[in-house]
Amino acid sequence: MSQPIKGRRVLIVEDESLVAMLLETILEDMGCSPVGPAATVDDGLKIISDGEPLDAALLDVNVAGRQVFPVAQALKDRGVPFVFSTGYGEGGLPDEWRGQPTLQKPFTESAVRDALMKAMGVAQV
Amino acid sequence: MKNLIKTDGPFDLAAAFDASPNPYLLLTPDFTIAGVNQAYLDVTHSTREAIVGQPLFAAFDSGPGDEAPDNVRQVRASLERARDGRQRDHLAMVRFSIPRRDGNGGEVFEDRIWSATHTPILNEAGELTYILQHTSDITELHRLRESRSGSESGGDAIDSVLGGAVLLRAEQVQEDNQRLQDERNRLVDMFMQTPGFVAVLSGPDHVFQFYNEAYHRLIGYREIEGLTVVEAMPDVVEQGYIRLLDSVFETGKSVQGHASLFRTVRHPGGPVEDAYVDFIYQPIRDGEGKVIGVFVQGHDVTDAVEAGQRQKLMIDELNHRVKNTLATVQSIAMQTARSHTDPATFAEGFQARLMALSHTHDLLTRSYWEGAELRAILQHETEAHGAHRISVTGPAMPLEPATALSVGMIFHELATNAAKYGALSTPDGRVQVDWTIAREGAGRLDLTWREIGGPPVVPPARKGFGSRLIERNVRHDLAGSVELDYAGDGFVATFSIPLSREQGV
Repeated sequence: MSQPIKGRRVLIVEDESLVAMLLETILEDMGCSPVGPAATVDDGLKIISDGEPLDAALLDVNVAGRQVFPVAQALKDRGVPFVFSTGYGEGGLPDEWRGQPTLQKPFTESAVRDALMKAMGVAQV
Repeated sequence: MKNLIKTDGPFDLAAAFDASPNPYLLLTPDFTIAGVNQAYLDVTHSTREAIVGQPLFAAFDSGPGDEAPDNVRQVRASLERARDGRQRDHLAMVRFSIPRRDGNGGEVFEDRIWSATHTPILNEAGELTYILQHTSDITELHRLRESRSGSESGGDAIDSVLGGAVLLRAEQVQEDNQRLQDERNRLVDMFMQTPGFVAVLSGPDHVFQFYNEAYHRLIGYREIEGLTVVEAMPDVVEQGYIRLLDSVFETGKSVQGHASLFRTVRHPGGPVEDAYVDFIYQPIRDGEGKVIGVFVQGHDVTDAVEAGQRQKLMIDELNHRVKNTLATVQSIAMQTARSHTDPATFAEGFQARLMALSHTHDLLTRSYWEGAELRAILQHETEAHGAHRISVTGPAMPLEPATALSVGMIFHELATNAAKYGALSTPDGRVQVDWTIAREGAGRLDLTWREIGGPPVVPPARKGFGSRLIERNVRHDLAGSVELDYAGDGFVATFSIPLSREQGV
């Protein structure tokens, strides 16, 4: 079931280490390789500009007091699919990012998997 | 204007003025007597030398009678209307006592009744230079009419001969005027004191004709009287309000706005600030229904709008925190489950971590989430193991909420570890916690957790969740560094945490 996304490299941008650790564990269980995690918008931008190979990303919307949208834009420019994770729900997204796959905190393993597959355009098996 | 009185030019206006049987007085805008003709001097028993250059109400104060102040007030009000309104003002009837010398060189006041017209005189630039008072002594006429109306022969005919009916009408008109004037003053007073803002704009360019205290406050007490809205407040032109005023003036249809953003200077010399207003613009029409101005009224609702915005922000923020906390708890549960195969020890470990998180929340709640003291967090997380076994040395160090939550979790893991394997697992072991604040740059917290008197230290075979949580927290959440040293005589953890980093809350 997790075959289609096995081996994918997934960037995590999340300021809370415990939540980042949870995402890493979930990704590892799915056979993905977590990249990062980045604790700030700047760290996230640096990983992208360093040319780290990325297949997808999980982006916390509110990262250390800043909004993650510059990272989202950089990923979009590189054609890397991504999922927002937020406590605000989809209503917390500005219009230009609405419709993007979104995870509501707290999340289950299957929610993470479904959102990533949706973002990457991988058919669910 | 002096010419009018003294000139001997080809067309001698002064001579004509002086020769007129009608009494005239010429006043400056501050009601100082600038000129007077002979008829006026005659009727008031005064001389040019005595009154020219004097303030009008110093020269003529209506005497010592009870009614004098009211008489003076009526004349002054009429003069002010003429001066400020730039329009002729009629005072159909007013009592005003005039002094005259009695036979013994003393002064007596004669009770007189007057009719007066006040005409503003403007120069070529349209500025007011003088006010001309034309007054008639109608005392005799008045007395005659009163004596006739007291008789039984009916007064219609003689009244009409003597102008009695005219006088009667004049009296009524004057009473009506007075009543209207009082009414107007009451309305102006009410407008001035109303908590809402009120302004009257005149003409197609919206000239400020009247505004109350609340309006003046709204616009930062700028001088606006007689200016157009564009002149008075160039900073609001871009905001669309002028267009709305134009539309009210052109269409005669009123316009309303609710919680409308109004950006303007609210304190003299201050910055442009956001205000929110509920307002209505209504057309003011003349007797023929033509729109001649706009009546502006409304309320400053900035406080209410901002309170609403703050409330929404707080609810969003609360939701964000609750969901993040739930995700944190979820993570703790999942990670704890992976390091415990026995459900009983899982429950114990999970609950202990949950309580650690909860304790720091309690501390933060006490300060309304402003932050918490490092020492208080440490005491909270270690007191279960005996306060006397933990010695603490370090200066006061307030931590912001996100940092406080991280530090709380870290101390909990350190204490739990010490109780299981380290110094707190033996009766005599203790822990020394010292910290200093380095001032270089934006500042740095250097903290050491040193275990003393415990069993010989054995480095763990594999990294447990506890030590991973500590390392990740310090590196990721606090952007600091930590060294966990499993030295033979006691475990030592050394932390270095920058204080400058922007912390998400």
